[in-house]
Amino acid sequence: MTNYMLLAPELILTLVALTTMMVGLFIGKNKTILGYFASIGLVAALSLTVSSLNANETLFYGTLTIDALSQFFKIVFISVSLLVTIASIKYTENDQNADSFFTLLLFSTIGMMVVASANDLVTLFVGFELASLSTYALAGFDKKDPKSIEAAMKYFIIGSLSSALMLFGISFVYGMTGTTSIPGIAENAGALVGSPVGLIAVVMLIAGFGFKMALVPFHMWAPDTYQGAPTVVSALLAAGSKKMGFVAAFRVFVVALAVLSPTWQTAFAILAVITMTLGNVVAISQTSVKRMLAYSSVAQAGYIAMAFAVMTPMAFAGGILYTLSHAFMKTGAFLVVAVVGYMVLSDNKNAKDIDHIDNFKGLSKRMPFTAFAMMVFVFALSGIPPTAGYISKFVLFSSTIEAGLVWLAVIAILNSAISLYYYARVVKYMYFLPAIGGKVSEPAPYAIALILALAGVLVIGIWPEPFVYWAMEAAKVLI
Amino acid sequence: MAVDDLAFLIPLLPALAFVITFFFGKKMYSGGALIPIGAIALSCIISVLITINLLNNPEEVVHQSFHWFAILNLGILIDPLAAVMLCMVTFVSLLIHIYAVGYMSHDPAKPRYFAETALFTAAMLGVVLSDNILQLFICWELVGLCSFLLIGFWFHKPSAAAAAKKAFLTTRVGDVMFLTGIIILFSSISQIYSGNLPEGVYVLQFSEIFKLIPELSAMHTTILGTEVNQLTIIALLFFGGAVGKSGQFPLHVWLPDAMEGPTTVSALIHAATMVTAGVYLVARTFPMFIAAPDALIVVAYVGGFTALFASTMGIVMNDIKRVLAFSTISQLGYMMLGLGMGAVVGMEAVGVSMFHLINHAFFKALLFLCAGSVIHSVGTQDMRQMGGVGKVMPVTFITMVIASLALAGFGIPGTQIGTSGFFSKDAIIETTYLFAEHTGNYIPYLFGIIAALLTSIYIFRLLFMTFTGKPRTDYGGHESPGTMTGPLSILAVFALVFGALTQTKFYHFLEGTFENNFVHVNIEHLAELGHYHLAHGHHGEPLLILWMPIIVGVAGLLISFFIYYLRVIDMSTIVSRRNPVYQILYNRYYQYQIFIEVIALEITYGLSLVGEFIDRKIIDGIIDAISDGTIAIGESIRKVQTGVVQSYATAVIAGVGLLIILLKLIVEVQL
Repeated sequence: MTNYMLLAPELILTLVALTTMMVGLFIGKNKTILGYFASIGLVAALSLTVSSLNANETLFYGTLTIDALSQFFKIVFISVSLLVTIASIKYTENDQNADSFFTLLLFSTIGMMVVASANDLVTLFVGFELASLSTYALAGFDKKDPKSIEAAMKYFIIGSLSSALMLFGISFVYGMTGTTSIPGIAENAGALVGSPVGLIAVVMLIAGFGFKMALVPFHMWAPDTYQGAPTVVSALLAAGSKKMGFVAAFRVFVVALAVLSPTWQTAFAILAVITMTLGNVVAISQTSVKRMLAYSSVAQAGYIAMAFAVMTPMAFAGGILYTLSHAFMKTGAFLVVAVVGYMVLSDNKNAKDIDHIDNFKGLSKRMPFTAFAMMVFVFALSGIPPTAGYISKFVLFSSTIEAGLVWLAVIAILNSAISLYYYARVVKYMYFLPAIGGKVSEPAPYAIALILALAGVLVIGIWPEPFVYWAMEAAKVLI
Repeated sequence: MAVDDLAFLIPLLPALAFVITFFFGKKMYSGGALIPIGAIALSCIISVLITINLLNNPEEVVHQSFHWFAILNLGILIDPLAAVMLCMVTFVSLLIHIYAVGYMSHDPAKPRYFAETALFTAAMLGVVLSDNILQLFICWELVGLCSFLLIGFWFHKPSAAAAAKKAFLTTRVGDVMFLTGIIILFSSISQIYSGNLPEGVYVLQFSEIFKLIPELSAMHTTILGTEVNQLTIIALLFFGGAVGKSGQFPLHVWLPDAMEGPTTVSALIHAATMVTAGVYLVARTFPMFIAAPDALIVVAYVGGFTALFASTMGIVMNDIKRVLAFSTISQLGYMMLGLGMGAVVGMEAVGVSMFHLINHAFFKALLFLCAGSVIHSVGTQDMRQMGGVGKVMPVTFITMVIASLALAGFGIPGTQIGTSGFFSKDAIIETTYLFAEHTGNYIPYLFGIIAALLTSIYIFRLLFMTFTGKPRTDYGGHESPGTMTGPLSILAVFALVFGALTQTKFYHFLEGTFENNFVHVNIEHLAELGHYHLAHGHHGEPLLILWMPIIVGVAGLLISFFIYYLRVIDMSTIVSRRNPVYQILYNRYYQYQIFIEVIALEITYGLSLVGEFIDRKIIDGIIDAISDGTIAIGESIRKVQTGVVQSYATAVIAGVGLLIILLKLIVEVQL
């Protein structure tokens, strides 16, 4: 007997997405209501997911699994979507196509949730594609802006290439083990050990997932796309769909291909070091805040990837907790950029380079709350207490040291120090440079989304115990 | 719901008030002063209710503790010791906040002022409420920060900014010692458990620390060839923290300068509450001190010497607030001296010392607020420019007289008549006499009694110079508004009668501090560990000894009366550059010269120059090279990001290829 209640969040979101699409066809110019409708649907899905935190069941002939790990990541995805949806109510205010925006947003969320629950490589791939295709379209949502189109095209081309690589990897695994079921692969993975096919399959899968995670050298689309896409969509990509790569990697490498761990552990160690270093170093020289956040997001992926290199329960918990913290702080930071963009455009309709750091000058005078929120987000990203970023780094780095990989921890900590430079620069611009222009008040949807993200960052930072415990529970699925 | 469950609100309400006032104070009445006042009033009510509960049922202390994260626990402990402090801190802080509405009315930065004092109150309550040493330390640092911020409240004044820095750095010396003490304590505890800390108990909680005292006192360390008891080291390091915070010799130098802050800050932080945190710390960890050989004797000597030393300087100061600052240092010395007397009277020392702490909070806050009232009206702090202020400010004058009598300890021995200072300060002097009788060592007693004489001289000098005689300059003062005189009157009542009403009950109440459902230690037994011989049944001092404090008090009054009121002695012969004693006192024993010119400017500055050279040229050079290099690398990698999607795809494929080769190589090498 399948317990469909466990799938209720996905089902509700599907229903809401379809309704949004249909209703959108018939209502006139003002489609703001659809944003509220989507938000309500996401809140319902979130509360249903929270209510089944400790479920442990497989559904549909073992193709989907509902466990602590899937629930954790679903909450990450739904939270990010919720924040983005709330903020987008303002962004799509006068847009004819708001209905498609929210529909795509919801479908991409469903895709991510399917990946979180996937217990079969085919399910995983389908979920991946659902999320990817929706986000390709979202990245190009700003049709009149050539940059947005360029962003979408780059994202789409590299995305397709990566999907092909991933499918290639999956086919190798299927060929050698005779199954696509993740527990099934785990049983038969012995055949892959020591064989060159196993090695190639692992690298192909890393490339496929690494595209989403934005690991170097599969990251090159990310800065261009994050910068060109509408800022709310960048938030979704950086904070949400990036995590899809991680949950897929957790399922495929740690559960299915555990016997190949020496191979992928080394690969992730190398990639983690390169990724965090390159991300942080290049972020220093950026003048666009959006692009700076994109590189910072690359660097953060490097930190999370350390969990795969360390491979202890504590490290997995740290990596998992990091995805949650990162979801709040990165979404928050991008939304601040969106608010600043709104501010710049309200000053001057034809402003160029709205994400340039000069626009952050004296933000503390112009928008005190937004500036404060941004300060908390960038401090969280650089790992300053009492924020979620600090706690996640603390758990992850200390587990790295406990596991004896001191060199890796040292590199990570040095990287955090480098990152402080460009994060603190934003604070300097906001608080110490004179303001140009008068006070602007934040539109309510942006303000609400920022408050929620801020609450997430600070609650995890100040009261970390339950979240660490929760991440440990999720990590137990992997061992 | 029992009121005990609301204990967490005591520090939380002022903390919330801080947030609200800080962010939204600008638009509110009087800079948002009403928010902290309301919050602290509620905290005060809760504290008083909990204290009443505790008075009826002293065995049942309030204790809540829960795990925060890693090695941090959050806990609340309200035992008799904490309860009396809570009531005092909330009550005095409340009155000073009300007073500040009037006192700060002309200051444009009111929201910042009220926010910072609210934060200070929250942090101070945190120090008092902590059930473990680590949380106490965190709050301890937080009060230090607030003190720094508030001393430098008028930071545009260079002297205020310098004083804030000095206070911060000087107390930091003590704080580092305190932290070292905590670290040594923790490592000793893990040594006792041989590295396996027990599950489910928080080893830094006071009850757990006290349980391990016998084991700790059995440990020894060798320092410079002499074997020292581990517990003595820890206790003295804690005492080092207390010396910094409570302005004891030789770390007292910051306190007189701290008077650069608003007078209300001086009253709240540098008279009634924060500076007593050091005394509170010693009282809180008293079982450790009494079990540590020699520790209490050090406490007694430092305290006694400070009491005497500071009072000599109080006599020659001309700035009204500085007189009071030296007086505070001296009185804190008395409290430390009282605690040190635990070497013979055991637990009673905590009672005596804390009683003086509470009484002192009332009359010293009152003295400062009176001084503030005078400064507010006259516009100067120099007593030489005052005179005759009593005529224009009758309320301030009367309350000041009461406070001065309390400080000088006027009362009639053997009866229940006397100011609150009389009951507590004389009790300390009596215990020092007992110590002298018991050990044959009269030095602490002499410290105490001579300081009492000097105390009386300097406070009546202040009173006569300020309030009597004819105005020496044309200051045109007026009585302060009701928000200021109201708190003065209330504090005056407390300074006058609190001691008489509560004395016996207070001692009895505090005796339960270490014997209840939270912690149960046998002080007698611990004193044996510390090689102290406690005296029993000691109420039979000679009549002269009982009367001695009041005799020197009256003597001091008369000396000041003759010199500063009747002016029978021409002061100009004494107050001159040629008089070496006056010179030494006026220059504060050349501490400034020693600390600043010799230690700071010659030795430290010399070292700094060397350090600066190494830092600027060598270390910074390396750092600059690294950062320039990093930025240059960033710039060059940035160029790889061409924006051409074909090259991105190439990178992906190249990445896959390289990764395969690299992994293959690594796997080969590993096999």
